[in-house]
Parts: sequence; C-alpha cells; structure tokens
Amino acid sequence: MAEEIAFARKASGLVRGLSMLDAFAVGFMNQGLTPGAWVFISLGLATFLGGNIIWATIASAILAGIGFPLVWGILGASMPRSGGEYVYNSRILHPVVGIAQSFGDAMIWLIWVMALTPLIIDPGVTMLGQFMGWDVSWLTNTWYERFLFYTLFNALSFVFVLFGMKVFAMAQKVIMFFGLGGAAVIGIVLTVTSRAKFTEHWDAWVAKADAPDLIYHKFAAAVGAEAGLAIPSSSNFGDTVGLMVAASWLFAYAYSISFIAGEVKRPDKSIIWANVFAILVPCTFMLWFGFALYHSVGFQFLSAASWNDSVNGNGPIAAAEGLPWSTNFIGLAAVMLGSGAFSKFIMAIMALSYIAFAIWLVTLSYLAFPRIMFAWGMDRMGPKWFTDINPRYASPMKNIALGFVLGEALLLYIAFKPDTVINIALTGLQITSVFAVTALSALLFPYRKGSRGIWDSSPFKKWTLLGVPVIVWGALVNFFYLGVLMYGLLPTQLGGKAAGGDWGWTMIGACLDAWVLGVAWYCYWMWRSGRVGVDVGVTYGELPPD
Amino acid sequence: MLKLFYVTDIHGSNVCYRKFLNALPIYGVDVAILNGDLLGKVLIPMVEKPGGGWECHLMGQYTEMNSEEELAGVKKVIENAGYYWEHQTREEYDAMKSDPHAIDKLFKHQAYKRIQEWLELADERLEGKNHIVYICPGNDDWWDIDDMIGCMKLVRPCDHMLVEFDEYQMISSSRSSLTPWDTPREGPEEELGPHYEELCARIGSQPKDFEKAIFNFHCPPTDYSLDLAPKLDKDLKMAAEEKIHAGSASVKRVIEKYQPLLSLHGHIHESRGAQKSGRTLMINPGSEYSEGVLKGVIVMLDKKKVKDYVFTEG
Repeated sequence: MAEEIAFARKASGLVRGLSMLDAFAVGFMNQGLTPGAWVFISLGLATFLGGNIIWATIASAILAGIGFPLVWGILGASMPRSGGEYVYNSRILHPVVGIAQSFGDAMIWLIWVMALTPLIIDPGVTMLGQFMGWDVSWLTNTWYERFLFYTLFNALSFVFVLFGMKVFAMAQKVIMFFGLGGAAVIGIVLTVTSRAKFTEHWDAWVAKADAPDLIYHKFAAAVGAEAGLAIPSSSNFGDTVGLMVAASWLFAYAYSISFIAGEVKRPDKSIIWANVFAILVPCTFMLWFGFALYHSVGFQFLSAASWNDSVNGNGPIAAAEGLPWSTNFIGLAAVMLGSGAFSKFIMAIMALSYIAFAIWLVTLSYLAFPRIMFAWGMDRMGPKWFTDINPRYASPMKNIALGFVLGEALLLYIAFKPDTVINIALTGLQITSVFAVTALSALLFPYRKGSRGIWDSSPFKKWTLLGVPVIVWGALVNFFYLGVLMYGLLPTQLGGKAAGGDWGWTMIGACLDAWVLGVAWYCYWMWRSGRVGVDVGVTYGELPPD
Repeated sequence: MLKLFYVTDIHGSNVCYRKFLNALPIYGVDVAILNGDLLGKVLIPMVEKPGGGWECHLMGQYTEMNSEEELAGVKKVIENAGYYWEHQTREEYDAMKSDPHAIDKLFKHQAYKRIQEWLELADERLEGKNHIVYICPGNDDWWDIDDMIGCMKLVRPCDHMLVEFDEYQMISSSRSSLTPWDTPREGPEEELGPHYEELCARIGSQPKDFEKAIFNFHCPPTDYSLDLAPKLDKDLKMAAEEKIHAGSASVKRVIEKYQPLLSLHGHIHESRGAQKSGRTLMINPGSEYSEGVLKGVIVMLDKKKVKDYVFTEG
C-alpha cells in the first residue's frame, strides 16, 4: 500500500524543526575535517610513524560508524529532548553517575576551548601567513600576544551562538561549505601531483631555502637522524592501531548531535543517519587524502614530514628551520603548487579551510556547554538561572556568557603555560568519562528497571539481531573501538614517541577531578533542594504507566 | 505549604494520562491540574487486508499486523502516542478518506470516548484520596468535552471559572491567540483581552487582590521565553532555526497588570521553563507526550510566596 493511511486534524502543537542536514552539520563540524585531518596525519603519524592512513581510516570508520550511530542515535531518539548524554546516563545508570559524567563532559567542552583555540593560530593563521609570505612569528612570541589572539578567535567563535539558532545555523552552513570546498581543493592538489612532480617542486623549494640536505631522497634520513630512530618505509599493524587514536578526532565526535537532538525532525531516523553521514564524509576525505598522499609524497616521506611538523612541540628539525612553512599535509600541498599569484590564492583557500573548521570547533563548545547546564538546571542540579532563556534570541545567554568567561580564564592559563599534552589527556578523558559511560548506558538500556518505560516507548525496541537489541550490539562494538583507542593511548605505546609527558597522569587526574567535583555538585544540590522541601529525586524517577 | 502539580498538553496520550494519575501519590501532591490540550490529533485506520490481518501507517511507517497479538501491540503504541485507531474495511476506508465530515465525526467519536474513559478512571482512582484534581481543556479541544468534565464526581472542571483551594484562588482559560490551524478555542486579541479581564474581575480589580491568585491560562504571555516556537512558512513547514513568539499579548497584559502569585501555561510544547514578571512566577512545563514522557512541574506554595518549584519528567 503506497499511500499513507492516517487522518490528521489541523491542530497546533509540538514542532520539531531541525532537518537531518542540520543535525549532520552539528555532528560533522564537531569533527573539524581539515584540522581533524591535520591531527590524524601530522600528530598521528608523528607518534606512530609506521601507521597506515588508509587502514586506520577504514577500521575507524567501520567501528565508529557502527558503534556511535547506534549508541548515540538510539539513545538520542529514545530520549530526544535531552540536551546531551546527561539525561540518558542519569536515568539509565544513576543520577549521581549522570551528573558526575556530565560534569566531566562540561569540563571537557570548556577545556576544548583551551586546547583548540591555540590551534587556530598555530598552525592555522601561522600557515596562512607563511603561505602569503608574511612574518607571523610575532603572533605567539609573548604570552600576552598569544592571549590577545586567542581572545580574538574565542570571541569570534562565541558570537556565532550568542544570537540564537538562526544566526548559528546560517553561519554553520556557510563555514561548512567553505571548509569542505577548501578541503576538496587540498585533495585535488594532492591528487593531480605525481611523485616526480612533487620531488621536483620539493627539491627546488628546499634549495631556495638553502637546505640542500633536505632534498626528497635525503629528507627521511635527516629527520630520522634528529629523531634518533629510523623512519619506517612501510606500515605495521601496531602503529596503524595507534594511529586510530588520532583518527578518532574525525570519527568519534559526531555525538555532539545529542545536544540538539530535541529539536530534530523525525528523531527516530534523523539522528542515526546524521551520525552515520557525519562519519562517512570524513572517511571519504581521509581515504582520498591518504591515497593521494601516498601516491604523490610517499609513505616514508609523509611520516618524516609529519614528525618534522609535530615533534614534541619543539619546532622542526634544525635543518628545516629555514623552510618557509611547516611540512604538515597542507604545507606539502602548498609545495606542490609552486609560486605565482594563483598558487597563493589556492594556498590561502587551503589554509582558510583549516581555520574555518578550527573556529567552528570552538563555537560548538559554546553550543554544548550551555545546554549541559540547562539540562542540570531543569533537574534542579544547579541554580535556577541555568534555565533562563533570553526571550529575544531564544538563547541561554547567561550560560553562554559563563562559558565564555571560563574559556577566557583557561586561555589565559594556556597562553602563559603552553601545553601539548592536554590534547591527548582530553582525548583519553572523553573516551573514558563520556563515551564509555554512555556506551554502558546503551548496553543496559533494555534491561534496567528504572528506564523500562522509556525503553518500552522507544521506536527501536523491536530492532533486534539474533534476539539481542541492536543497541546492545552497538554498545559492544563501541566498547571494542574505545578499547582500541585506549590501547593506542597506553604509555607503553606512546613511550619514547612524540608528545610524551605525563599525559596519563594528566588524564587520570582530570578524570578524578571531574568525577569528584560532579559527585560533590550532585550532593550539594540534593542537600540544598531538600532544605527547601524540594525532592529532586522526582526529576529522575520513572512514573509507572499502568 | 501546598504542593501543586501541573501538567499540560498530553494530546490524547494514554500513557501520559495514566502517569499523571499515578504521579499524584508518588509526588505527594495536594492539588493537581491537568491542562489541555487533551485531545489527540491523528486517527489511524487499521484497514483489513484481503488475505487476513490488518495494515496501517504508524508515524510514517507502513505496518502490517498478522495476529491479534500484533494488533493489540500496535493499538497500545497508537494510544500511548496520543493517537486514535479505528478498524475499517478497505471499502469503508476508501469511502471515508474523501468525506471530511465523516472523518470529523469519527475523530470526535474516538476522542470523546477516550476522554470519557479518562474521566471515569480518574474518579475511580481519586475515590477516598485527598488529592484535588482539576482538568481544563486547551485551544485544540472541542467545546463538547467541557460538559463531560463537568459531569464527573471527583474530577473538577475549572475552565472559565474561579475556583478556590486552600487559601488560593485560581482562574482558568482554555483560549489561545490565533494559530495557523484554526483551532476551536483560539481567537483574536480583541476578543481575548475582554475575556481575560472578565476572568480577573472575579478575583478583584487591584494587584493586592491577586496576592494569592493563580492564573491557569493555556496560552502563555507573548514576549517572554515561555512562548518561543519555531517559525512556520506559508506551507506550515518549519524554519526551525528561527523562533517566534506565539503567545498572547492579552495574557501578558493581565499578568503585568494584576501580578498574580503564579501563572501556569502550556500550548508551546518546546518552551519549557520558568520566568518572573515582577512578583509573578510564570511556568510552562512543556510537553513530550508523543514520546510517552510526562513533563510537569511541582510548585510549592507557602502563603503569599512560591516557596520553590521543580520540573518533573517521568
């Protein structure tokens, strides 16, 4: 029967507005295609020199592409007005777990402001200036110059969410299509350049910079000599698995869709598919970049170039200090372009793609953080003003402003004390405190008495495979993927490699801090609410439906 | 101290209604108000298939039922989502779909049947209990249900009335400002203004008369944050990133003029929240009936103050 059999009254009421494209955009943009690819290739290969981009991409896309859409998609569609994973975890596991985990997530979103804003400046703006032949070394000379520029971009990121969803959605579409266009330009440049052509351009480039020891055939050896290790000429399994950690930036962060899940049309379909496409698009680009780079640049050279770009945050190897720009994959594409006004224009497009996506990564912190606080406020797990909505802009402006102030404080700290370990610690914190806890909720969702009513109403209750709910399979795949990532993050994997430092202790410390503070927050608000006769427990309990 | 529980816009959802009744002893409330809209919006014909079994479209998905058990399961999903169902042969369905009057008649029949079941269930559950329960329609609800509510033993009507409980006075209105859907109880502001003023006049004429007054107005006041709804284009499709104020200027005027203790609203399901207008606390608990989630608010009143409130979600 093709026609729809239903009669509907004309009646006012619930409207869900955002389309699947809007949901996809929020998920996709939180993975920041070009900066994510930079993390994957530069930071990832610098740490795991023998990692294979193609296989790491395929494995990540499959595991993340099954686990995340099923876990976050089904939870989000079953509790579609939640404002993030806080409500899933508090209702399915326990309210104190929900708050503690959510406290961690709120901290994470804020700390991402601190971790990501500097990346806009370096490599983003730095790269742009270098491509144009400008002197940009002064951007990050002193702590106050750093702080000034961090504030500039932080404020720009913040403004996009301050004036409501209309401005946000409009800006997001523009930035997304511009960024995608720039990423496609990078891909085209990498694709059309043969190995021979790249070698010719590279050798001419290093010769011009008076670095003859860095010609193509000597570059890997030169990097290896300074690194104190041999740059591998082929990939290995262990490093490819480790590379998946860096790759997770492009595949594991579409969960941000959960923060707007309540406003998405047909959440039973849209959220899952938005998650899937938010993973497929970066997968497509990374396969493209991977094949193109191996074809034009070569495996060993690429690993050496990545090490040169990212090693320990100490700058390039001595011989490469005179090169006009660093040897990340965008820099390599720029080398392929040669000189001339048109080449500079293309270089600018490529650098701006990175900058645009990087700015939006910070913007999304200002989308998520206020909504987490709003959800707490609704459950009386915070002051009442957490739920204030500005009637003119339909926006939680007080929460956004608080986020900005806290973000600025963190930027002041990082301007004073640059820290490259924080990115790894944050990734580890997110894997454990956010993703693993939510995967546990997904695993238990069909079976917990406390969430029985919600599961019974879920549109996915009947999705089963071999008699087991599909969400459980998704959770198991998700746990496996998270396990792979944690394996890659193990100090034994990272030991002696790039970006060392006490990331492990930083991560554990941050996790403990977040959870202890979260539990303390929960206890305080339970006590405070109880003092005025409010039983906060009523906000979490399931009501019997019969 | 009085504990008041307020729920709005359950739109025919059986599970939300039952949760509402079950919540009364769990939350330990003194007074409960179930505000409209009470009636559902979709009628799903369960059409008999030629070879046996039934077929229907449920939430945009084609569904076949080949056993009584499957049929019962789908019916429960339909009822919990606030929809209605009706068994029809293929011929009956084909005849009905081109007859708007017949559809309307069937809709009303099913809607009134469910409301009657609800009211009887409430009277049964409230027997011997101390909870006071008011039920008030909303703008989407046909006028006929007012008489049905008025006939019940323990459930109390309150629409267009002044009612008193404990030391408080409550006036209620199911009306709303104009919507794109031409609903039964909507009207232009020129009509609503005198309507709300007449209700307020039953309490008094000065703000001091309203120190213990509660407004139970289905339509929220405009220009606050309780009436923000996605903007619709001419095809009634959403431009969802843009929100507009869909509340009533008349409601805003009387709240600001008389400054009641508390003002309770519904109508805009998305705008769950609380906001102050002078001394008046205005609340819209929102609605998520189609997902089977009962959203409400518990308000604790202590003489001339709102001691506190907490949003609930069961």
